[in-house]
Amino acid sequence: MIVLRNIWFSYVDENYVLKNINIEFSRGITVVLGPNGSGKTTLLKIASCLYKPIRGEVLIDDINYWNLNEEEKIRFRRKIVYVHEKPILLRGSVLDNIIYGLIIRGYSRDEAIKKAHKISKELNITSILSRRTETLSIGERRLVTLARALVLDTDYLLLDDPIAHLHPSTRELVVDIVRSMKDEKVIAIATHDPLSTLKIASKVIILDSGRIVNISEPRNIIDKYILEY
Amino acid sequence: MYTEIYGIALRSLLISSTATLLALVWSIPFTAKLISIRHRSKDIIIGIFNTLIGLPTVLVGLVLYLLFSYSGPLGFLELLYTPYTIIIGESILITPLVISLLYEVFSRAYNEYWELALTLGADKLQAYKLIIREVISDIFVVSLISFSRAIGELGVALIVGGNIKGYTRVFTTAIALEIEKGEFETAIILGLLLFIVVLSVILTARIIKRRV
Ligand SMILES: Nc1ncnc2c1ncn2[C@@H]1O[C@H](COP(=O)(O)OP(=O)(O)OP(=O)(O)O)[C@@H](O)[C@H]1O
Ligand SMILES: [Mg+2]
Repeated sequence: MIVLRNIWFSYVDENYVLKNINIEFSRGITVVLGPNGSGKTTLLKIASCLYKPIRGEVLIDDINYWNLNEEEKIRFRRKIVYVHEKPILLRGSVLDNIIYGLIIRGYSRDEAIKKAHKISKELNITSILSRRTETLSIGERRLVTLARALVLDTDYLLLDDPIAHLHPSTRELVVDIVRSMKDEKVIAIATHDPLSTLKIASKVIILDSGRIVNISEPRNIIDKYILEY
Repeated sequence: MYTEIYGIALRSLLISSTATLLALVWSIPFTAKLISIRHRSKDIIIGIFNTLIGLPTVLVGLVLYLLFSYSGPLGFLELLYTPYTIIIGESILITPLVISLLYEVFSRAYNEYWELALTLGADKLQAYKLIIREVISDIFVVSLISFSRAIGELGVALIVGGNIKGYTRVFTTAIALEIEKGEFETAIILGLLLFIVVLSVILTARIIKRRV
């Protein structure tokens, strides 16, 4: 479980973009909705321990992450993977990208490649595995970043707008894959697409101007919110 | 004459490329560290280096001379008037330029790749490695530009190198000497050679930059 307690965060000075956030990301899928600039990306990056909050606590499995020493931090970080909203790929081939996280975790190349093939098959990207990343379309890039994260099989999965730029059938595919993991993992998805994601959500958070305006079960989400945000 | 010109050319290339490498050796970890600071002091530090790019070469030469002269604090090393002091001097001279250029390259890389590396499970060392791998060709361009500044400077080479024939004489000091002697032909040949070296270095940098 990831617990955010009284989180305040600002990029510059006292300009808070997250204001006193309290949430638990628990097993299942938490969908984070909210207008542009409401703080979804910032929230997910705090929850993935990439940003240190100005105030407040980030608890991963009941441990306060920012109090850990460097070695323990790495151990905890390896339980969590965040997928950027803007797909960032490394130089080299698609395969190189997908195996990166496994290689630095000490997997052998062969093992890593085997896992990479498996996830690529699921995401339907085996045909581009040997392509150089500069040549990919934006949707392909997105799928590669998803494969690179999913292959790590982490307990925590934080996806920032994972289905943007995807064709409806591919979107369906990604949603299905995420759904299939919902019983074992803690998953959070920030999205502007409530229609595709609410059906798999266990919990919905609505952010506005850095504050949580609503946390509820998806079936309790009032139509008005979906229409408004 | 030509064997001497050849020797000067070779020596210049060797001294300045070593100086560039040396400057990179401390500038890369320093800039990487600087990038990761999340504090206003970062802007101040990089501002200082930006300003120091314009440091007069004779000033660096003078300071080094005082340090390495036989009565200076580092005089016991007996490095004055050797190629080694030119290397040290040029590397110090170009360090502000190297750091300023690297800073641009690294901050772009840091904003994207650092976070990426961390979330994919990298430790700090692995994250630095990833960033460096992503920016290696940019670093190469930075070194070419810095090298051309090093090979073209006169102050340091003259003051701490001493322009000793066959030992510390490089392009710029040789040209200055030949002009002083009135040997314009040799000066022009040397000048053209230096020009060709610098031009090809800059062109290479441009080509690499466009490819990336
Ligand atoms: N690097 C940054 N420096 C300064 N301000 C930033 C930075 N990144 C984001 N912000 C600001 O923080 C606020 C929250 O941004 P955030 O990216 O978290 O929003 P978001 O909900 O993810 O938006 P979107 O739906 O457009 O992705 C915005 O007002 C944004 O302008
Ligand atoms: Mg966002």
